[in-house]
Amino acid sequence: MIQLFHVTKSYDKSFAALKDVSLKIAKGEITFITGPSGAGKSTLLKIIFGSESPTEGQIIIEGRNYFRIPPREITNLRRRIGFVFQEFKLLPNKTVYENVALSLKIMGVGAREERERVLKMLTYLKIIHRANFKTISLSGGEQQRVAIARALVKDPAIILADEPTGNLDPEMSIETMELFKEVNSRGTTVVVATHDKGLIDRYARRAIHLEAGRVVC
Amino acid sequence: MLTGVRTNLSYLIFDALRTIRENPASAIFTAVTLGFSLAILAFFFIIFVNLNMAASGLADRVHMVVYVKDGFASYGPDKIKKDALGVLGVRSAEYVSKEAALKELKDSLKGRESVLDAVDINPLPASVEIKVLDAYMEPMLFGAVVDGVRRLQWAEEVQYSGKWLKKFSAFLKFTEVLAAVIGVFLTAAVVFVVTNTIRLTIYAKKDEIEVMRLVGAGRAFIMLPFVIEGVLHGLAGGVVSIGMLSVGMYAVSANVPAQMSFVIAMPATVPVISAALLSAGLIMGGISSVISLIRFLK
Repeated sequence: MIQLFHVTKSYDKSFAALKDVSLKIAKGEITFITGPSGAGKSTLLKIIFGSESPTEGQIIIEGRNYFRIPPREITNLRRRIGFVFQEFKLLPNKTVYENVALSLKIMGVGAREERERVLKMLTYLKIIHRANFKTISLSGGEQQRVAIARALVKDPAIILADEPTGNLDPEMSIETMELFKEVNSRGTTVVVATHDKGLIDRYARRAIHLEAGRVVC
Repeated sequence: MLTGVRTNLSYLIFDALRTIRENPASAIFTAVTLGFSLAILAFFFIIFVNLNMAASGLADRVHMVVYVKDGFASYGPDKIKKDALGVLGVRSAEYVSKEAALKELKDSLKGRESVLDAVDINPLPASVEIKVLDAYMEPMLFGAVVDGVRRLQWAEEVQYSGKWLKKFSAFLKFTEVLAAVIGVFLTAAVVFVVTNTIRLTIYAKKDEIEVMRLVGAGRAFIMLPFVIEGVLHGLAGGVVSIGMLSVGMYAVSANVPAQMSFVIAMPATVPVISAALLSAGLIMGGISSVISLIRFLK
């Protein structure tokens, strides 16, 4: 369960990226966060992830209030959240395999299990042939698939995806969404920020629409 | 906190090695600077240890002679010795009777004993040769022992090599201070160099650190590769210092007079000195990287 109560995020006095946002996303739900560029979609995901702090308001993730847990607990919570960043945030000097395996290494997964899970995910996302390439040498679409693989490989309780299909062709976009659906069917909460109207219509799920930092429906 | 560290220690070590391999110039500069500093430190340490060992050896040769007043010759050697040993700081006291002193003089005049023929009586006084405890081989304390002996009622005159002791003690003090100053400066230099190298690595890996945090890496997982890198720089510096010290000692020993060669003699076996240098490099490298991480990894 993700709950936000009257969350406001201001970067300076004259501009607030989020204004008094309150919402609930149930466990196991797929939710789209929609809205035009600059509406606050990315900020909302980052606040849910805990990489940004709200100026006002409260956030409860899996029953834990971000303001009442020590930083180490936030780190632990992050291990249970898979984030697909809009700008990918891959390690350019490490290979595709190493980037995806990093999430598992951090969690202390053993070498054999790590190899099995990473190769399975890379195969599923059709990027296995690039496993030993450094991510800096990949196309935008390939990098996006690596970012998705890194988020999914750790079987997170929550997936936060910021424009996950933005760099993918239509076919790969559908495959990625199908993957999110499959993960969701196993009980994972999925929150996807997108301005792709076609994607929202196709999957006909709950959509929270943001405009100028406010939830409008 | 250590989640992922134990199971992936080899990965973290490999990561540190890869960072070093990616910046060979920086790694070489760090190892050479560290090695040079460690070698100089070790060189001064060896000189200091040797001088101190020499000092304790020479202390045996520093002694005082107390001449016994004429009227006390019958006081008895045992009583005189007991009095002398009762003075604080006295290690041993050897009574030399008037007769023994004359015999010693005759022995030293071998072949020219006739010069004493004109003397009917024994003019030499009885004396006590006193050796002082090592802990009192310092001018002020030695002086206190001399004063104590002088106050003995049978003591006529006290002779000792005070000036020499003063000079040697001052010289030792100077080498002690010099070694400490050089040690502090060179340690600071080593810490500065390694800290700076790690700081540059932290800056170069700023984005990588951010990504690691975002995917849930704890502090230990992020910090350990930097600490390992520092330790590896330290070990490399230790190896360089062993080479530099060997070459340096060889070059110096060829130019040191034979009577002074004890100053640069190795106070321990080569493996022991090598292990000490490697350990010093390792500890300095590790501590420096931790300092750097505390200061720069926010």
